[in-house]
Amino acid sequence: MLTKTFQTLAAVAIGAASFAATSASAADGEKFKVYLSLSYSGNAWQSSAANIVKALAATPPYNETVELIEVITGTDPQAQISAYESMIDAGADGIVSFPISSTALNRTIKRGCEEGVLFFMYDATVTESCAYNVSYLSSGFGENSAQALVNELDGQGKIFLSRGVPGNSVDQRHTDGAMHIFNQYPGIEIVAEYYSYWDDRTTQQETAKALTAHPDVDGIWAQAGEYGAIQALLDAGDRLVPMTGENSAGFRRALADPDMQAKGLKGVSAGSPPAQSGYAFKIMMEILTKQRELAPMNIEYPLPWVPADAVSICTGDTYEDGCNVFPESKVPTSFVSEVLNPVLLPEVNVESALNGTPVEGATIQPLPADIQEAGNEPGINCNRCEAPADLYKLTKVEATVQP
Amino acid sequence: MIDSDNAKTVESSFAQSGDGRASARVSRETISTVTVAILCVVMLLGARFISPSLGSWSQVETVLVLGSFLVVLSFGQGLVILTGGLDLSLPALITLGGILATNWIGVYDTGAWYLLPVALLICAGVGLISAIGIVWLKVPPFIMTLAMSIIVSSILLGYTKGTPRGASPDAALALMKGSVFGQPAVISFVILFVIIGWLFQSRSAIGRYLYAVGMNVDAARVAGVPVVLVQTLPYVISAVCAGLVGIMLVGYSNGATLRMGESYLLPSIAAVVIGGSSILGGSGSFLGTVGGAILLTTLGTIISAIGLEFGLRTIIEGTIVLVALLLLREEFFQKLGSLWR
Repeated sequence: MLTKTFQTLAAVAIGAASFAATSASAADGEKFKVYLSLSYSGNAWQSSAANIVKALAATPPYNETVELIEVITGTDPQAQISAYESMIDAGADGIVSFPISSTALNRTIKRGCEEGVLFFMYDATVTESCAYNVSYLSSGFGENSAQALVNELDGQGKIFLSRGVPGNSVDQRHTDGAMHIFNQYPGIEIVAEYYSYWDDRTTQQETAKALTAHPDVDGIWAQAGEYGAIQALLDAGDRLVPMTGENSAGFRRALADPDMQAKGLKGVSAGSPPAQSGYAFKIMMEILTKQRELAPMNIEYPLPWVPADAVSICTGDTYEDGCNVFPESKVPTSFVSEVLNPVLLPEVNVESALNGTPVEGATIQPLPADIQEAGNEPGINCNRCEAPADLYKLTKVEATVQP
Repeated sequence: MIDSDNAKTVESSFAQSGDGRASARVSRETISTVTVAILCVVMLLGARFISPSLGSWSQVETVLVLGSFLVVLSFGQGLVILTGGLDLSLPALITLGGILATNWIGVYDTGAWYLLPVALLICAGVGLISAIGIVWLKVPPFIMTLAMSIIVSSILLGYTKGTPRGASPDAALALMKGSVFGQPAVISFVILFVIIGWLFQSRSAIGRYLYAVGMNVDAARVAGVPVVLVQTLPYVISAVCAGLVGIMLVGYSNGATLRMGESYLLPSIAAVVIGGSSILGGSGSFLGTVGGAILLTTLGTIISAIGLEFGLRTIIEGTIVLVALLLLREEFFQKLGSLWR
């Protein structure tokens, strides 16, 4: 515990410098040398995504064959570039990473590819074509959730947009998709649009501010942080409205709560799954162990999609029998429910997500043979490429009201 | 006995070292406090033009609840600034208070209200370490509090392994969600806090010492002020205030995150400066700071109601803060006064 604290401390405080020290001590030539490169592990999403990879790397047979080294570089692209450089020079076999920028890392990645390093990006993507991107970004979160909200509102009403981080390409992609739908419905009026930085507390405060000007809001389209919007509505009065949001345990439990439903809560939980990191790690290991041949490509992680009537609370430590959220006694409201995936990641459970520990007796299971290729998203997962004509095609929901 | 003697000495030396007229000093502070209050009211009423729902009592309620965090936080920051320092460790201490409330008390027993003071005591300990570094080891406040901030947040990251657990203690929920006299309980709490804070800063002997040290440490020492104690105290109080804000935030949104304090550092300094305090220390009043905090929060709620691009809204917000700051500078009133004559 203490050493771990100090490691983290050192990693946060001096970033790349601490990394040089750890890699120097790793001289075992037998194992695959795999790096996990994070930006900042200060939120539930980032840390559970990292924990899943750590748990998988500690599950047999990988506990004998993989040496996993975690590096945290903060939110500065330059720090991640130098971390990548050091990893390449230390003889990495593979790098699993949450990239901070979709373009700034490209040159370093290209150099790594030439040295034979496999790059696997999860959730966020890079436009360098020699890297593998494993992401849900192309799966249409924005347009599908917007259509679901429009359906709930019968195509009429005042709504809030609770967005992510200003200037971020992910936020832009989600919002573009959503606006593609909202713009088709003249009855939908966006009365407030605010940035919530994918954070519960910020969402709650920004929604509270918007509610003072528009107490008569009919619906909320939210990115991550959605549970804060519910709290702001409850603070302002005893009325909830239809809303869509991402995968926090708090939001899912509220969707399934009869009290909340009686107050008017309806909607869909969808959005960014931390399980992408585990999926990326497993594909990479299958390539490294020669169980799979796969040229660099953009891999789509299926969009999680849980409407209110499909929410089911788990009794055990895993998602079995179709359950998809853990009870309050097990995880906090900010816990991101889509960290587990019974098909792709049957080896791990809720404790793995919270602590990075492997499940006793579990062994690594092969992935399904088929891998879904992601569509082109210019500037997000490819350079100088064309977006498909049906970029904002609905995949999870159909329009039940016509504009 | 000795204390009251000292207070008199300070009071008299203080009045002589300033601009010589006690009445001028009082009225200057009163002017900035009153101006801030008027600005708030004007903005609230003017907001009706943006949206008819604004300017209502429910908006005032929202402003007071959202502003409560900043009021409590900037009391501590204000004391530190008053003595010529700066506390950059507030975000980490907010998070510390929040994490102790959820990960420790919330997991152990949400009804254990008696542990909340212990959590605040731990925050006080961190503040004391900062103070020791600054007062005894002469580390610049900027560096010392920044270092404490990094150390505390890193320890919290290790302690929670990135995912804070647990729920809000019942006492914090009662404070933020409960009601007193049909109004949110936190409003009564903030009013009480402001009265106590004002009495402490402007009417107590210790409060006067703080001004004396902020104006001139050597003069204060000669005048018999216990300088070391008076320089230490603000950092401890500031840490306790930040911890309290962490607990309040936990009650407000029923959970903690590791970044919950991040957005409060600059507003806490801005509230103090807008409220008429000198960033170099030695002047200002807590009532002005409260006005600054409420002004910033009011502005935030109104700005978010304007249907403009985010960038434009931020530019407008920054401009208004800048104008308010210029308007509230004492030189502005002096110049205005000399023009009048």
